[in-house]
Amino acid sequence: MSARWLLSGLRTGGVLFAVLAYLILVGLPSRLGDATVPALAALAVGLFSLAWQRRGANPSLVELLIKGVVGGATLSTLVALLMGIIAALIAGGARVQTVLDKMTPPAVAAWFGVPPVAITRGELEAAAVLRTWLALAAAGLLSGLLTFGWQHRQSLRRAGGEALRRWLVRLLPFALLGLVLALGDPAVTIGGSQKGTLRLLAAMLSIVAGLVAWRAARSSREQALLGGLLLAGLAILPFTLDQFQNAVMGIVFIFVMMGLGLNIVVGYAGLLDLGYVAFFAIGAYAYAFLSAPFSSPWFSQQLAQWGLPTDQPLLSFWQAIPPIMVLAAIGGVLLGTPVLRLRGDYLAIVTLGFGEIIRLFMLNLADLTNGPRGLLNVAPPTVFGYDLGNPRDIFILALLGSGAIAFAALRLERSRLGRAWVAIREDEEAAQAMGIPLVRTKLLAFAIGATFAGLAGQLYAARQVNIFPDNFTLFVSIDALALIIVGGMGSIPGVVLGALALKGLPEVLRGVDEYRIVAFAALLVIMMIARPEGILPAQRTKAELGARAES
Amino acid sequence: MAVASQEHAWRAQRRSEQALGLLARVIGLLIVAAILARAVSVSLNENYPLTFWVSQLVNGLVLGGVYALVALGYTLVYGILLMINFAHGEVMMVGGVAGFFGLQIARSLGWLDGGAAALGLLFALLAGMGVAALTGVTLERVAYRPLRGAPRLVPLISAIGASLFLQYSVLLIFGVRPMVYQRPALIADGLRAGPVFVPYTGLIIFVTSLLLMGMLVAIVQYTRLGRAMRAVATDKEAAALMGVDVNQIIALTFLLGSALAGAAGVMLGFHNSVIKFNSGFIPGLKAFTAAVLGGIGNIPGAMVGALVLGVAESIGPSALGIPAEYRDIIAFSVLVLVLIFRPAGLLGEVVVEKRA
Repeated sequence: MSARWLLSGLRTGGVLFAVLAYLILVGLPSRLGDATVPALAALAVGLFSLAWQRRGANPSLVELLIKGVVGGATLSTLVALLMGIIAALIAGGARVQTVLDKMTPPAVAAWFGVPPVAITRGELEAAAVLRTWLALAAAGLLSGLLTFGWQHRQSLRRAGGEALRRWLVRLLPFALLGLVLALGDPAVTIGGSQKGTLRLLAAMLSIVAGLVAWRAARSSREQALLGGLLLAGLAILPFTLDQFQNAVMGIVFIFVMMGLGLNIVVGYAGLLDLGYVAFFAIGAYAYAFLSAPFSSPWFSQQLAQWGLPTDQPLLSFWQAIPPIMVLAAIGGVLLGTPVLRLRGDYLAIVTLGFGEIIRLFMLNLADLTNGPRGLLNVAPPTVFGYDLGNPRDIFILALLGSGAIAFAALRLERSRLGRAWVAIREDEEAAQAMGIPLVRTKLLAFAIGATFAGLAGQLYAARQVNIFPDNFTLFVSIDALALIIVGGMGSIPGVVLGALALKGLPEVLRGVDEYRIVAFAALLVIMMIARPEGILPAQRTKAELGARAES
Repeated sequence: MAVASQEHAWRAQRRSEQALGLLARVIGLLIVAAILARAVSVSLNENYPLTFWVSQLVNGLVLGGVYALVALGYTLVYGILLMINFAHGEVMMVGGVAGFFGLQIARSLGWLDGGAAALGLLFALLAGMGVAALTGVTLERVAYRPLRGAPRLVPLISAIGASLFLQYSVLLIFGVRPMVYQRPALIADGLRAGPVFVPYTGLIIFVTSLLLMGMLVAIVQYTRLGRAMRAVATDKEAAALMGVDVNQIIALTFLLGSALAGAAGVMLGFHNSVIKFNSGFIPGLKAFTAAVLGGIGNIPGAMVGALVLGVAESIGPSALGIPAEYRDIIAFSVLVLVLIFRPAGLLGEVVVEKRA
């Protein structure tokens, strides 16, 4: 029996080698760059699975695994031989390109994920060869598992297969993280236009998969264990990404911080705020004033008058945190007071107006804010004299900030105050009748939400170094609102996912630059039609939307 | 004992709420007083001639007329569906673009020479209205109808998506080059009354917006369609049971509102001379503000709100002696101040929030 399985695996692997070799030789590596190996591995998974489908009505897991492993090993060995021979020929000075037109040294280098010089000089490391070999071999194994799961999807669900699925969910984030590491540091290209996008995508997907796994965890012990492992994975992420990728992830997590704050105002308390950028701007400008007072004409004049040094920050990044929190909270209360009696759409337009007013003041109060020329040379955060201004450290700080805010939001959600917010969102009159103080509760929502946005703004100012009024347009508010809705209102994992989808994905799609906004806009509409509760909805909202068809 | 303390807490809460409302009003009054004092002192010091104020007022009314045309569509849709059609400004822009191409066609056919220009202008206007109406109805069908009955934020996000989609589709299809409206000789000039100058385009905008508002009120109050619209606005299910085709009525509402926006787009094109892919955004925002100011859902309210907003924006900076860049701040401040005293807008009645 097993001899037949071996033979079948060998044959399928050989056939697939022909397909893949053809694709490699017609120039896929030079077109896809470093994305070639993952793309071809994915293709191999699909083709293998198709091949296993046709054979045998109901193969056992052992049969499929043997076939998969043998097929994958055959395929990857043959491909490795082919590419190894080509690489050796190039290194030996043979003119491969005269026969195989597309097998240029850069293309071969792209296949192995090494710089072109390594090929021409014959310094191809075994590790690089092993990596491509493993990727294709794993494709065979995966196809076996997938086929088995597919054929037994009914019985799987009944007996034990649920466990397999859960293990898949648990392991996927780590597999993706492994992919991020395996893709290596040399910049990855898609369509040859932008660097590092595939790796960035894998990093983002690993975070998403981590969130899904964490949410799917059953017991609190499993959740804690998985959470710890995922956090460890997250902790190494900044150190594996390059500058561009870190910069993108930094802005994503700054938006997570802001989204978590807006989530309190809109998601928990149900107060539709379209001018949330105001608090972000307050935080950013406050930090700029405190750390770079010399770039504001009025402030530098005051400093000179008081005999203070005019080229020093007034407060360091860490010292500035408490005053900025207080200032943003005051801003939240100031906005909240006049609009408390308004409801729904009136609230939306007034808050929108408030956001615009703040921006216009920053644009026009040139004495204080330096107008459209902006505030320059905002100081980066420092630790023991070590400068934390580079993209990687900003990403780490944004991660820490998001973590702290997420923790605070989680505790708030489960507190008396959080339940009071939800009660107000659901029915104001009933909440009032139950003795919830409307004024205080709503103002607290505004103040706390504003505080979080202020912190996000502070970090943003530190990241940007120079800030301008144009950084704080209505579109920031719209982005923040859209990200919590895409992710799922009132859901903390949803905020992270929404931020990745809205701020991260467009960066990945830079290769198709001009079409990305249209694609994003269409996605927003489709998303609202297909899954209005968001991708990772809060359990509570999910239950409500299920129970109520009409609201 | 527990009941008594509960009641006590209630009373305290009531009191704090009333105190807050009072506080907001007092602050509002103080701000209004400060603004008035500033305006008086500035007008005494600056000594602008009366004609200056008159021409500022005329500019304000024209600006208000543009806002009104867009605000009418906003308020019409809101009145029926209780939904902010965020893409309404973009529908206006699409109408403006279509009007531009209509104008080009009319020019190539020689319809813009001399007396025939009226025909050419009408053609451009109809082109803009038709395309905008088509866009609006399609928008409703694709982006809003599947979401009917969803929580209120969902259609809002869909509308934001649709708005971006329309803007950037126009950008991709027609490029960044602004489309320049050339005014034919017929409407190039304006009325002169002494030093006050009123361009014909401004006059047309103002008169048209008044006429269209009257027409809309007439449609909503006195026709069969209007009765069906009001029925749908009050209660969709009951209206359906009474034999009203709800989907058709909502589509017709969008048709009407979008045609108005298309007309606004063409007129804005003539008035500002250019239309770009993002031309609809700011007027849309202002029109929405105007609709809320007047009491959203209320048709005469939209007109009043738009005129108040337009006049405040054009007179405000010189009356308060501040740079014209603060125009938008004045617009939004007027909104906040009015809503402090009349939370439902100038002409709006207090609607029961449960409908929303």
